[in-house]
Amino acid sequence: MINKIRELFSSFMLLELVKGMALTGRYFFARKITVQFPEERTPMSPRFRGLHALRRYPNGEERCIACKLCEAVCPALAITIESEQREDNTRRTTRYDIDLTKCIFCGFCEESCPVDSIVETRIFDYHGEKRGDLLYTKPMLLAVGDKYEAQIAADRATDAKYR
Amino acid sequence: MLNIEIDGKVVEVEHGSTIIDAADQLGIAIPRFCYHKKLSVAANCRMCLVQVEKFNKPLPACATPVADGMKIFTRSKAAVEAQQSVMEFLLINHPLDCPICDQGGECDLQDIAMAYGAPASRYTEEKRVVINKNIGPLVATDMTRCIQCTRCVRFLKEVGGMMELGLINRGEHAEITAYVDKSVDSELSGNIIDLCPVGALTSKPFRYTARSWELVRRPSIAPHDGLGSQIEVHIKDGKVLRVLPREKETINECWLSDRDRFSYEGLNSPDRLKVPMIKHHGEWHETDWKTALEFAGGHLKEIVGTHGSDELGVLISPNSTMEEAHLATKFAHGLGSDNVDYRLRHTDFRHDGKRLGVIWMGCNIPDVQEMDRILVIGSNLRNEHPLLAQRIRRAVANGAELSVVNPLDDDPLIPIKHKAICSPNDMVNVLSQILKAVSGMERLSLCLPKSLSDLLEGVRVWDNSQAIALSLTGHGETMDLISPRSAVFLGNISQHHPRYTEIFSLAEAISSLCGATFGVLSAGANSVGANLVGAMPKAGGLNARTMLESPRKAYVLVNVEPELDCHNAALAKQAIEQAECVVALTAYKSEALEDATVLLPITPFTETSGTFMSMEGRVQSFTAVTKPLGEARPGWKVLRVLGNVAGLHGFEFDSSEEVKDEIFGGEKPSAVVWRTLNNNLRELIDVEIKVKLDSDLQRVGEIPQFQSDAIVRRSPPLQKTKQVTKAVLAGIHPEQLTKLGINEGEKILVKQGTGSAILEAKADIHVPHGCVRIPGAIAATASLGDLLGEIYIERIPATAPQEEVSA
Amino acid sequence: MTATQTLVCLRTAGQADPASLETYLKLGGYAQLKRLVTEKVKATEIISQVKLSGLRGRGGAGFPTGLKWSFMPRYFDGTKYLVCNTDEGEPGTFKDRDIIRYNPHQLIEGMAIAAYTLGARVGYNYIHGEIWQDYEIFEAALDEARQAGYLGENLFGTGFSFDLHAVHGYGAYICGEETALIESIEGKKGQPRFKPPFPASYGVFGKPTNVNNTESYTSIPWIMEHGGQAFQELGVANSGGTKIFSISGHVEKPGNYEVNMGISFAELLALAGGVWKGRQLKAVIPGGPSTAVLPASAIIGATMDYDGLSKAGSSLGAGSMIVMDETTCMVKALKRLSYFFFEESCGQCTPCREGTGWLYRVIKRIVDGQGRMEDLDLLTDVSSNISGRTICALGDAAATPVLSFIKHFRPEFEYYIQHGRSMVEDGVAVEEVAYA
Repeated sequence: MINKIRELFSSFMLLELVKGMALTGRYFFARKITVQFPEERTPMSPRFRGLHALRRYPNGEERCIACKLCEAVCPALAITIESEQREDNTRRTTRYDIDLTKCIFCGFCEESCPVDSIVETRIFDYHGEKRGDLLYTKPMLLAVGDKYEAQIAADRATDAKYR
Repeated sequence: MLNIEIDGKVVEVEHGSTIIDAADQLGIAIPRFCYHKKLSVAANCRMCLVQVEKFNKPLPACATPVADGMKIFTRSKAAVEAQQSVMEFLLINHPLDCPICDQGGECDLQDIAMAYGAPASRYTEEKRVVINKNIGPLVATDMTRCIQCTRCVRFLKEVGGMMELGLINRGEHAEITAYVDKSVDSELSGNIIDLCPVGALTSKPFRYTARSWELVRRPSIAPHDGLGSQIEVHIKDGKVLRVLPREKETINECWLSDRDRFSYEGLNSPDRLKVPMIKHHGEWHETDWKTALEFAGGHLKEIVGTHGSDELGVLISPNSTMEEAHLATKFAHGLGSDNVDYRLRHTDFRHDGKRLGVIWMGCNIPDVQEMDRILVIGSNLRNEHPLLAQRIRRAVANGAELSVVNPLDDDPLIPIKHKAICSPNDMVNVLSQILKAVSGMERLSLCLPKSLSDLLEGVRVWDNSQAIALSLTGHGETMDLISPRSAVFLGNISQHHPRYTEIFSLAEAISSLCGATFGVLSAGANSVGANLVGAMPKAGGLNARTMLESPRKAYVLVNVEPELDCHNAALAKQAIEQAECVVALTAYKSEALEDATVLLPITPFTETSGTFMSMEGRVQSFTAVTKPLGEARPGWKVLRVLGNVAGLHGFEFDSSEEVKDEIFGGEKPSAVVWRTLNNNLRELIDVEIKVKLDSDLQRVGEIPQFQSDAIVRRSPPLQKTKQVTKAVLAGIHPEQLTKLGINEGEKILVKQGTGSAILEAKADIHVPHGCVRIPGAIAATASLGDLLGEIYIERIPATAPQEEVSA
Repeated sequence: MTATQTLVCLRTAGQADPASLETYLKLGGYAQLKRLVTEKVKATEIISQVKLSGLRGRGGAGFPTGLKWSFMPRYFDGTKYLVCNTDEGEPGTFKDRDIIRYNPHQLIEGMAIAAYTLGARVGYNYIHGEIWQDYEIFEAALDEARQAGYLGENLFGTGFSFDLHAVHGYGAYICGEETALIESIEGKKGQPRFKPPFPASYGVFGKPTNVNNTESYTSIPWIMEHGGQAFQELGVANSGGTKIFSISGHVEKPGNYEVNMGISFAELLALAGGVWKGRQLKAVIPGGPSTAVLPASAIIGATMDYDGLSKAGSSLGAGSMIVMDETTCMVKALKRLSYFFFEESCGQCTPCREGTGWLYRVIKRIVDGQGRMEDLDLLTDVSSNISGRTICALGDAAATPVLSFIKHFRPEFEYYIQHGRSMVEDGVAVEEVAYA
């Protein structure tokens, strides 16, 4: 009998609604946790494995020495390298392609690189309009590296003590 | 036999063997750098230190002979400590540049460091840097990586015959270097790349192009000399990137000549012909296979139809496969022509029809180093058969005596016991003297046929001929051998000789009198095979010489560049020029084929299956190791379709194996080979001791090693070697120069037949009197005639134009 | 008691014109050669006398000479060779040069007797390249001996022939190693050969060869004259005869002293005038840089013979005694020694080629004030890794000083590493450090 009365009151007084609205109201005024991508971004680890880049030394010389360890270690066979002896007798790549449609972003290429040339950056929101756009060639990768060098270098420095 | 124990395993080994031999026999790995089974023991790397019971110090396994009851521990604490410490020492001054080192991935130091080294280095001082040396276009150096194992030094000294590299300076300053301003010019120099356990010596043409793990390795057979070396072709993305030897103790051991190793660069030459081409009104036009084959087949048939089948001549390179040679021969026979030949550089064919079998080297290759006495007639051994020369070098090092009869006194880097250096024409005379001396020896009855012994009546034996005869029959300085193992070999110069037949029959007589092995060291990779398939005139057809002397209306050329591959460049050029139809099956477009009518692109050895028969009669089949380039197709396929197009029967082959089966009649090849190899002559050949030549001078035209065939001629690294880049000169003995009134360095006009060339005269003491050394198979002498023909020399008046004059 | 010298090898000392044939003949020279050759004394007899004499190789290894001679193949079809090793290149060693400078004829006679005994037809004396004057003196002595008929064909009409040639090196220390010396005589780069085969079966030009030190050969005429027993009695058990000690370093009268074996260190030091300027003795290298250094306490009671020094923890070596007083910095002394071995390594085998440079660089770094405590263990470890793992003994020789210096003077090294300066220069007293 008492229960029935309680039910009656709660349904007439819209108690559940009030509870629900209270919760809504609490979150309505609480600090927001959603971010407005792409205007806003969540914090990222310096170890984030995103789009690849080829780095250069501060004097502008490309780091890659065509040792092909990344090509050998890549489990997805996404990397293709061709090499030659450049005019100054150094070992250099003539071709360095990463097929991002194959890449699984495992980071082995970066791990294996003896000169910290191939790195994975924090960039993840790249896109291609047709399939071939995601085949990154050497100039494209170098361009990525050139553009984000400051960030890349800072990330490596942060992580250096754990390596 | 001794019983020893290694790591608890008992093994029985021979007296005098070392611990490392015994361990290898047991399959126990002992790390090593300086030790190599084919080289002398240096014991300087100290990597193979092992513990031996009753010795308080670790002993080097490579240099310690075993004793009965010896107990050896290769993985005991003491041994491992010793190995680890040596590894640490080796690495302190070794640069850690494995990522850019071509040896990376196939490096002994890398592998052994992984197995025996410590994970980190305790060395924090500065490292040694050694300046690189330029030792030629074939071998790249990174001397900082060198660990001073001296394998390269010992190889060049012991196998190559000349110590072109050495270790100079003391202690940490010790470095491997060549002589000041000298490169390593050995014809076997590429082997030091394989021998180097680190990346100090690497291949220059291959440098930085690929990593060892990317390469696909496929077996093949070397196509440049009669040895039939087994090779391993390394391919990436369908392109041949390097060639290494496959170990075969009875052929090439673990070595490879530079020609076989670096010729592959010619396979990727821009000269490669990729599509069939037809010449129309003096212009070359690319076309498709159907058109080209129908044009070629139709044209040849038409000429045969109108002018008779005798107007067709077929020339086959001795480096073509047996299948190609067989089908080309069959094609000619199908059209009714007997004018087929593979002996392009031969000039004397008088023994055609008189031979009992297929000409070969008379023994197996390993037998050469077991010989006690060797007579080599007309050969520049290092040039023609680099690895066979190496075997003879070993025979001589083991006490054999080498005698030579040769028109060139070039150093084979083998100590020669006796030599007769004479003009080509005199070689017959010298051989008859040797024959007379041999037949005059007490122990040998005079069993020569009367005609020959009558001929020898008037021969006066010179001292050195007598000495050669004495040596050949086993007499020696300190002791006489009762039953020497001896051999008489004819080299390329003999085979190209205008009196080859006489040389052949005299040499055969000499060897049969003294019980020697008699053999011919054939020039091409498949000379013996082409002989076996019968790629030569049988019923009075024209041979390679007469085919050019009396020009035909139509030619089929298989792998031939007429001016460079034939005995008489000028004659070949004229014959091809005047012909109505020349069908050239070739892998390359070239100047030499400018006068052809149709060019059919065939593939070189890497892109076709086929069979080579080496000079010891070994039949070795191989498969294509990569896809044909462009539209090029294997030669046997092209010939097969050409046969179909010409409406001939018996050309319905689906594979090169079927062609091979037809060649051997379905039998086991070795059975056929065993039946057919025979160097004896059916009947005697007239020998004339002295022949008067019209000219006072005779040309000695040898084929330079790196010009021997179309692939080699297009290999840039080989063409950059010193042997090739030095200027083409006319080598004349200094006294002869004085007699002719010519100064050294003066330009002279050299005339042969209708052709002539202007060359610089050079004093050359290695050329006998009455001779001029002018190499063949090169563009500069392509206007001249016979390789060993008569020659005329004229001084050029100071006002004459200095460019080349050609008839 | 003051010890006196016993002049066996330096017999002509004090004579006017000591190197001349005349002087030597006056002292009874060449009599023994003549007697042995003309009386056709049996080789076995001579060898047994040499064995009896207790003569041991004076070049450093101390191998019994008589035993070595008995290894030469008696019957051999072809030339046998005799080689004298006068290639003394170790710092502080200068005895052989004095023998060939002042008493060359006794060496020639000794070699001729050896040649007669061993059946050698040709001999070479390999003289260090940096003592050119002595080489010329020896050449002159050879000429004299040839003129006088003590060398050459058919000596004394007996049919015995012996030719002796002087060969000079170019100063490489490694050429004092017998097989490297043989390579050098053959005209090749002086690099030790792997042994076995030993020179007695495969020596100069691949023929049986006997190699001995200059002092060993020079002792032979005396042994032949007085008998092996008399020579043995000059010394003590296991170390017969006399020994020339080349004393250098901080003594009043450095020089060569030929004394009986078994002389006490104190007597020998007194003979050389004691430590100079009245200073305290700190350390002694008794046999040359390839032997272990001994602190004063360890050597002061030792006797100078093979057994005595090995008991004290070092060895007799070539008798090149280097005396160091209290002002010596052991770290810097070791740097000098390790530089010598680094510079003189032949570069043939890995541990020595790489290891000597490593040792030198680490010690140099310590001297330059950049040392680390763990360097001392590293030095010990690297030295032990070189030792016993090389083709010849140079590896061991390079390791010995490092091991012994650190063993005996570790506190001094530690002080240097901590302070970046020498303890001696800082004036820290020697007594304050307890030496091991």
